[in-house]
Order: sequence, then structure tokens, then C-alpha cells
Amino acid sequence: MVAALHRPETLAEALGLLANEGARAISGGATLVAMMNASLAEPSVLVSLARISELRGFSRLPDGTARIGAMRLHRETAEESDLRDGQLIVALAARQIANATVRNMGTIGGSISFADPAADYPPALVAAHARVEIAGPAGRREVAAQEFFTGWYETALQSGEIVTAVLIPPAPAGTVAHYEKLARVSGDFAIASVAAVLQISGGRPAHVCLAIGGCGPAPVRVDAAEELLVSEGLTQAAIARAGDLIASHLDPLDDTRASADYRRKVVPRLLAKTLTALSRQPTDMS
Amino acid sequence: MSAAIATAVGASLPRLESLEKITGRAQYIADLNRPGQLHAAITQATVAHARIKGYDTREAKAVPGVVAVLTGDDFPDGRMGAFIKDEPPIAKGKVRYFGEPVACVAAIDEETARRAARLVRVDYEELTALLTPEAALEEGAPAIHENLASYFKVWPAVCGGNVASETELSEGDIAQGFAEADVIVEGVFETSAQAHVAIEPCGALAEVDASGRVTLWSANQSVFRVQANVCESLLLPMSKLRSLTPRVGGGFGNKMEAHVQPMVVMLAIKTGRPVKMILNREEDFEIVRARHPFKIRMRTGAKTDGTLVAREAEVLLDCGAYGDDSPGVLGYSLLMSRGPYRIPHVRAYGRLVYTNKLRFGAFRGFGNPQVSFAGESQIDEIAAMLGLDPLDMRVKNMTQPGDRWFCGGELASIGLAECIEKARAASGWDQRASLTASPGKRRGMGVAIGAHISGLLGTGAIVRVLEDGSIVLNTGAVDIGQGSDTVLVQMCAEALKVPVEQVSLASPDTDGSPYNWGTTASRVTYTTGRAVVAAALEVEKQLKIHASEMLECDVGDLELRPGGKIGVVGVPGKEVPFLHISLRAHWRSGGPIVGHNTWVFNKPTLDPKRAAARGLPFPQIGVYSFVCTIADVEVDEASGKADVREAWSAVDVGRAINPGSVEGQMEGAFVQGMGFALTEAMVWDGPRLANPTLMDYKVPTTLDAPHGIHTIIVEAAEPEGPFGAKGVGEVGINPVAAAIANGVTAATGVRLRALPMTPERLLDAMLEAE
Amino acid sequence: MTARLSVTLKINGAERTAAVRPFDTLLTTLREDLALQGSKRGCNQGVCGACTVLIDGRPVRSCLSLTANCVDAEVTTIEGLAPEGRLCAIQKAFVETGAVQCGFCTSGMLLAAHACLQSNAKPTADDVKRALSGNLCRCSGYKKIVDAVLLAAEGGI
Repeated sequence: MVAALHRPETLAEALGLLANEGARAISGGATLVAMMNASLAEPSVLVSLARISELRGFSRLPDGTARIGAMRLHRETAEESDLRDGQLIVALAARQIANATVRNMGTIGGSISFADPAADYPPALVAAHARVEIAGPAGRREVAAQEFFTGWYETALQSGEIVTAVLIPPAPAGTVAHYEKLARVSGDFAIASVAAVLQISGGRPAHVCLAIGGCGPAPVRVDAAEELLVSEGLTQAAIARAGDLIASHLDPLDDTRASADYRRKVVPRLLAKTLTALSRQPTDMS
Repeated sequence: MSAAIATAVGASLPRLESLEKITGRAQYIADLNRPGQLHAAITQATVAHARIKGYDTREAKAVPGVVAVLTGDDFPDGRMGAFIKDEPPIAKGKVRYFGEPVACVAAIDEETARRAARLVRVDYEELTALLTPEAALEEGAPAIHENLASYFKVWPAVCGGNVASETELSEGDIAQGFAEADVIVEGVFETSAQAHVAIEPCGALAEVDASGRVTLWSANQSVFRVQANVCESLLLPMSKLRSLTPRVGGGFGNKMEAHVQPMVVMLAIKTGRPVKMILNREEDFEIVRARHPFKIRMRTGAKTDGTLVAREAEVLLDCGAYGDDSPGVLGYSLLMSRGPYRIPHVRAYGRLVYTNKLRFGAFRGFGNPQVSFAGESQIDEIAAMLGLDPLDMRVKNMTQPGDRWFCGGELASIGLAECIEKARAASGWDQRASLTASPGKRRGMGVAIGAHISGLLGTGAIVRVLEDGSIVLNTGAVDIGQGSDTVLVQMCAEALKVPVEQVSLASPDTDGSPYNWGTTASRVTYTTGRAVVAAALEVEKQLKIHASEMLECDVGDLELRPGGKIGVVGVPGKEVPFLHISLRAHWRSGGPIVGHNTWVFNKPTLDPKRAAARGLPFPQIGVYSFVCTIADVEVDEASGKADVREAWSAVDVGRAINPGSVEGQMEGAFVQGMGFALTEAMVWDGPRLANPTLMDYKVPTTLDAPHGIHTIIVEAAEPEGPFGAKGVGEVGINPVAAAIANGVTAATGVRLRALPMTPERLLDAMLEAE
Repeated sequence: MTARLSVTLKINGAERTAAVRPFDTLLTTLREDLALQGSKRGCNQGVCGACTVLIDGRPVRSCLSLTANCVDAEVTTIEGLAPEGRLCAIQKAFVETGAVQCGFCTSGMLLAAHACLQSNAKPTADDVKRALSGNLCRCSGYKKIVDAVLLAAEGGI
């Protein structure tokens, strides 16, 4: 049973409170309060991050990196006009999270800390080569998104640590993004999703990054598939082989959304749909 | 004012209670509170099938704030059930499904009650859990109800072992029928358990007065069924319990029979304090009820010209742990299995089998959507084999005026031909070859037709003229959101030629309302509506007797005039208002004016000269509404996900008392049927329901439902219906899954015989077809 | 029993004080402490939308909002949508189009629709569907609800 809710104004204060046993950070509450209501989580102390201004903002670093504060709402990220080219993948994913009301509550930091493997941000952040900025008792550190998601609902966060921001590196010119989500009904978690960021140069992919959501403990990336698409181009044959390669690396479960078998079957098809959509997309060839 | 009067029936009047609902002032069961009230929670079984050896409630009772902890041992040995009296008010001696309430707690607040409920320990001797009808039918399977043979049954049931009911209906000679057929299709169809998901979860509030009499408010579809169920299961005289209802947040069948009312009443009796229990969403999924999963083996035979000659249906229903409405669902589904067709040789046989799952029960359609899915799929299969247009095939074989329903029930009005014609025209069916699919998708149109009853069981109405001439209507029918309050008032106002504003409706109350079996079986408009009109006529008669004395003329010379007056025919201005008549009746002569009517639907289901029946639980049902639904469907080639772009339903409702409400019923039924067809399925992980949350069980959202759901109203007046009206609550859902399935086949060439048609099932079928 | 803390909230333009527990959601506080029962509990998991209220003008789930976290915000509930009994256009449109059936989703639906119209005065049917996709209705099939929002936007009410 929650005995106290603290609402610190500084990160330092929050980290101090989170050092106490049983303390848990609460951001938007979209997931944690639902779990508390269902008696699936019973933190003894809640530390609200709502008043910590440094967690809220969106900014662009001198090198072009987009810095999304952990408390940034899904709606704000979805509407962020400054996320363009390859960075757009994060906004595209944000637009597909749940529904407009939940997007007014949920935050990027809260979502990725919970790390539901069928959620929309994890594959998007991996595809964007994002880094996760973390603060904790031992100071600040950054972890690549791909290393951040470590298992089923597990992350690289250590005890007492919280996510402070997500950093999206700039993508080279001519980079395009597409987020393909398959869900039973609108707003549901994904049966499977494909986050794709491609740099197209001279009509060929110069760089490909693909991350699959909902098909394993963490987003799935297969280097060999990406390399194949770069070396052979977006031909039907190459796309099919890349899809098969990725499918063989998936580690999905049977659940109420779909079977593992279906996910292995459908991911190459979603990938083909994604790459077809991207190859039609006008790109900046400068 | 007079314009409003003339159009009371046939006008799309807004709901009478609209204002309270749009301002947040409507009160549902969770909004009611009584002074000194306790809150209750349940302890749920952690096994599916077991003998209860004992309880340890000490820890739960020790929680500060806990007032009572009751187990099966604290309840009397009564049993309830609409057809078989097999269900105790709480698990008693035995647990029959995972999640079944085994104890209940009353405490000072909900948190405390829930915390204590988790601390109740039950000592179980586990038995083999029978999780499918097949497992329960196996030789040597333990009996889920050892005393089934001795339970009271309300009809000549055929049952034994784990078979709760066996029913067989036949007309003609099925062997001869198939011998005459040139083409025969045969298939096994399966449907999944669908949850009602009324947005309001179930709940109840009870208190006991000094004399021991119980007042019970609850979310329900019939205050009278609540009264009967609680009193049967707790062995109380029915007169000692008053059952009421606040506004109800949707029902769809889920709130017809009992849910938590017996436990709440027992807690109120034991504690002497008001007790309230509101289920959370998970509990509502796990312990209330759901649509039966069906396995249907169906065969249909036709001549090469498309004339249907034979149909055979064999169904296997998962009953769940208790009978509830299930024997009725079995019998009704068989009665519907022929569909609205002329087929001379028909045999329908089914078994209902107890399993260790939550009880299945009434859900909009009552077994009809399942058999319609099978039957209407086969009509398309035959049409395809014979190269006939699916709609032409239906027109060729549809039921015609003068025909009887399967087994011989009377059909007094049939608007089916007009439904088909109008849906065909509105949807552009004949031009469907020119439709183009969205990129990456395949597109097709599917059709299905259907019918549903609206005449069933007992009902009544009381119309009172108050001293000031205003009118109060009391029927005991619960408006569960579908709009019956408004429709009944419209009929009363029309019958008495007064503005609807002059008629108020009494809230259902077993103490003061005439009996009403319930808001179920699409019956309120037709069945209760008839009582309303008859009671209003009785009022008119009494008014005229007074008026004849007041105006000194013959009763036969009097007429009802718009605006609440009785006047002399042909003599304008010679009239008396209801006000004056009622004052006279109240204070001087004759006594207050009260019109009442009660009746029970008594047309036989079965004509023994035409058909044979064994184990049929509905001896008297009828009055059919008809429907034709066309769905424009797209299937995504990559994923196999199907979507409905647009839908048309033409429905024969006899007379639309409130056309807007008819549309509301049809639109809602379409989307609920679409959920049944495409996304909704309760899934079990062993004995445990794996998706008892709205996170995991998915109903359609605004973005999944098409905005283009077109309702076309057809009015083939029912001779004895009130103003010609028939029911509309369920008919709309029956053809939906089949229409979508036929659209999927038109789009992809593949036919699915299992619901829901998930992307997975569709993609697999499409890949196999390649 | 958990200690209660007095908090002051701005609800429907008025300051309201309630003694709340740290885990109390805004929905619980509204319904049980402030007698504002128009917000409904349909799932308590943020899926059904029956508890939707506006915080600083934007729709959120009151069942997922901790009351103690709402002290800096302006909360609007269904009871605040018709100040002094003057119905707003969206309420009238719901009545007019027959978008009200059982009514259990209606409060949340109206607030989400109201917010939709505040941010987009001329929405298309698809805009409305996107704005309301977090509010489940099991009675209506949504058609008349979407029509009601479009009618209110057209000023036809």
C-alpha cells in the first residue's frame, strides 16, 4: 500500500527519495497506476517526476541530436515538428501509442522504463540509434537504446536510477522513416511492428536500420538483413531474404494477441510493406 | 403541440432521460449509497473443479474494518436457474470453475473488503477439470453436477451425466431431403466465447429493514428475475424482497439472470447493514457470463436450380458450470438453424454440456448469431457451387407470407423481401464487381439474412391518470440503455393522444410494477408495448364513462381528442379535459382512473402436425423481425487483417415507434457483431481466463468501426403488434458475422469457418490457398 | 489504514478540498469524496474511457491520475460542462442525434468530444474518430456519436 507520494522539484531531490527501499518513480501514471489499481504493483513510496522541469523539455543539441525529456508526453512527441527525416521514426511511433487521451498522460521515460516489448517506442528508438540518458546515485550515464532493453519488461536501469531523456542522433540527409504497426484493434499494443530508418542515396539504400517490436523480449535487429539490403538494394528478392533472416532471429511468444508462429510469418510481410512504402516516399537527394 | 401529438409514434424523439445522462446526473448502481453502508468483495476459487473441504477465514476476519466474512457454509441450500435449478448463491460444497466466488466479505470500505477477501483460505480436494464439452462427455469424466437428476427443471429436459440438455427438432424427412439434393455442402463451424462488455460492470446494493424485509437495488435487465433468483437461492419468500433498479449501463443479456445479488443480500441480512458490491472489470469478465462457444456441424442440400431441399445442424454448446439461460440458447439456436428459408426437410440436434468454465448465458442473439454464421456461410457456398448470385439465391428460397417458421410457429408479418431489395439497392450490390480495393488490400461484399423473435412470456402495464390529468405509466420493464422507456411512453402518449411530456414513467419496482419477465429476447417493444396500449385503452374506456356522465351523452358518441380531452363526435367544443374527469374520479364519483393489462405470449412454437421436438424449452415464442445485412470488406494482403469499410442493414421492425432508436440498435448490433466476427474471443490458459481485461480482450473502437453503417427501416406491420411494431434489439446482430465472412470470401476466395476471423486465421487460409 | 492528506483541487472553476490517500486516483476522489459521480469507473485500467476528465483542457483518464498529482491543474468534469445549467453545443448535439444510449460512456465521451472541438473547430469524421478512439461505447456502434460531434462543429445546434 502506498504510504506517501512525494513531488520533488529537482532531480537531485528525486534521486535522493528514490534511494529509499520500496520507492518507485511515477511519471504519467498511465501504466503504473493501472497496475496499482489491479494490485499488480504495490510500491510503498511514490516519487512523482511531474514537477521536475529539466525532465520536460525538448531541445536540439549543437550536433543536431534531439533531446526528448523523459517527462515529454506522447502527444508532444507525436506533434513534434522538429523531428524530421530519420528522427521522425520516434514521432511516428508516438502517434500510434494507444489513443489521444492516453497520449496526453503517458511519457517517453515512463514508457521505455516499463519496457513492454509490444510497445511502440522500443523498436523506434532502436531504429533511430537513440541513446537513453539515465541518472542515478552514481551520476549520469548514457546507454544505447539497443542495450537499454534487456529482457521481457527489463531494462538497463539499476536500482535508484531513472531515465532523464532520450537522445536521437541526427540522421544523414536523405533519410526516411516508416513505422508499420499491426494490432488487433486501434490503440492496442502491437502484434508486431516494424520501425525502419533508411538513407536512400542515388535510389539505393546507403544505410538501413530495422527494428522489430512485439516479437521477443526486446526489439529485434538483424545486422545481416540490413547489410543485405544495403548491398543488394530494395529488390523484391532482397526484401524477401531480409525478411526471412529477420524472422529466423525473432523470439516471440504465443499470447492472446497472436501466436509466435504467426508473428514469424507476418513480420517479413510487414517488412515488405514497410520497404515498399519507403521506396515510394520522396527523399531529399541533395 | 398537436403536431407533436400526431407524431408520438414514428418520431425519433430523444431519450426521455437524455438530460440526466449528458450532465452526468444519471445514477447507476455504483452511484447509489445508503447510510451506514458496508462494501463487499469476493474471494475467487483458485481451482476449476474441486470439493471444498473447509475454510479458514480467521485472517480475513482479523483485518480491521471487516464486519463479516461468509462462505458457502453460511448460505442456505437453495438453488436458482432459469431452466435448471442448479446454481447455488455462492460455491457450496464444490467449486465448478476457476474464479467462482467461494467467500464474500463486507467491510467498512472497498479496499479493506478486497484485502480481506484475498486472505480467505479454502481447503480443496481437486477433481479433474473438464474444460471442453468433449472432455466432459468422455466416459469416466467426473460429474460436474452429481445431483443433476434430482434438480428441478422447468421443462421436460433430456439430460444426464454432464449433458445439461439435449434437444432435437425435425420437419420433413432429412434422409429423403439429402437424397433429393443435387449439391450438398457440409462443414464444421466454430465460434468463440464473446464477452458482453457492457461498459458498466455488475453491482448490487441491499439493505434489510427492521422487519427483515430486503430492499435490493442492482444493475439488471429484470427486477423480477432478480427477485426470483435471489429468493430461490436464499430460500426467501419472494414477498420479503423488493427489487429495484437505477439506470443500467448496458446489458446485452449479461444482467438478465443473477450475478452478485444473492451474495449481497446475504451479507446485508447477516450484518444488518446496507451492503454494496461493485465488481471490477476482471471479476465481471470472470464470473458473470458470456456468449456460448458453439461447434456446429451443418449440411445443406439444394437442387441445381438453387432450390434448398434439406438442412441438418448438429450443435455442441459449452454450458459452463451452471445452466443459467443455456438450455434456452440451445433450443433457440436449433429453432433458428433453418434460417428464414423454405426448406422442406430439416433436422436440428444439439447438446449442451457442463464444463468447468464460467457459466455461459444470454447474449444478444441468443445462439442465433452462431447458427446464422454457419447457415448463411453455406448459402453462399451453394450459390458459388451453382454459379448463382448470393442474393438471388436468398430471394429464391426465402420465407414467404403464409409460410411457417421451422417447427410450425406462425408468421403474421414478413418484410424480408423488401429488406433484401432495399439493402441490395442501397449498397450497390449489383455493381460490386466495379469496386476497387485500397493498395495492398482485397475487397469484397458479403450478404446474410436473418430473423429474430419478439414475442415471449409474461408482461403487464398500469396506466394511471393523476388528479391533474397527467399520466404515469408503470410496466416494470427495465431500460438497459436501448430506449424502451422512451418507446413505451411514446406508445402510451399516442394511444391517449396526449403529448409525451404528459406521460411519466415509473421506475421498475417489484412492489409496485406489474410483472415483466425482462428486457431480453427483443421483447419489450412488442410484448410490453401491447400491454401498454391495452392498458391505455382501458383508461380511455373509463375516461369515456366519466365523460358520458359529465357531458350527458352516450359513451358511443365520445372520442379521444388530441391534448388529453374527451369530446362528443361531431360537436366541436363539446369536450372535457382529463383534468376535470380525473378530479371527479378522485373526489366525487367512480374512483381514480387506473387502466391495466397483463398477458402472456401464448402462440405455440411447435405444430405437432408439421414437426417433431424433443427437449424443447420454449413452448410459446414467436413474432419475427427480419433483416438483410450487406458488408463491404477489405482484407490486408500483408497481415490478413479484415476491416469493414461500410455496411447496410435493412430491417423489418413492423413499425418503427422511434426510428432513431431503431437505428441506434442496428448500428450498435452491427459493431458488436463485427467484434464477434473479427476481434473478440475469450481465451483460456488451462482453467484460467487469460484475457479478463479490456487491455487484452478487444472490442472495436471508433477507428475500427465503419462510420458508414446504414440502417434502412422496413415496416411490415405485425397485426397484433402495438401500432404494428415488432422487436429490434437482437435481429441486427444475427447476420453480421456471416455477412462479413461472406465478404471475406468474396475478397480473398478463402472461407473461414471459425470465429473470430483473426489476421492469423485469415493469413493462414490465404497462404494455404496460394 | 492509510493516513489522509488534505489537498485542494481546482475543479470546474471552484476550489475543492478533499482528504486523500497517496494512492487515491482522481476518479476515486471525484466520486467518493467530492460527490461528483458523473465520471464513471468502467475498467479502472485506462482502457474504456468512461472516467475521462479534462486536465488543463486536455482529456485524460481520471482512473490513472493520482489526485495528489493534480493539485496544480484545472480539472473539468462532466458536471462542469454545462455551467449554470446552460448546455454546451456538444451536449445538445448528443441529444439531438440520439448519441445517448445507456449513458455510461457518455460523460467521458462528451469531454473527449468537447476537447476535440476546442482543438479543431472543423473536424472531419476521421478527426473525430481519432479523438474518440480511447472511449469505448458498446451500445451505439459510434455512428451517432461521431455524427453528434460533427453536428456540434457545424453549429447546427
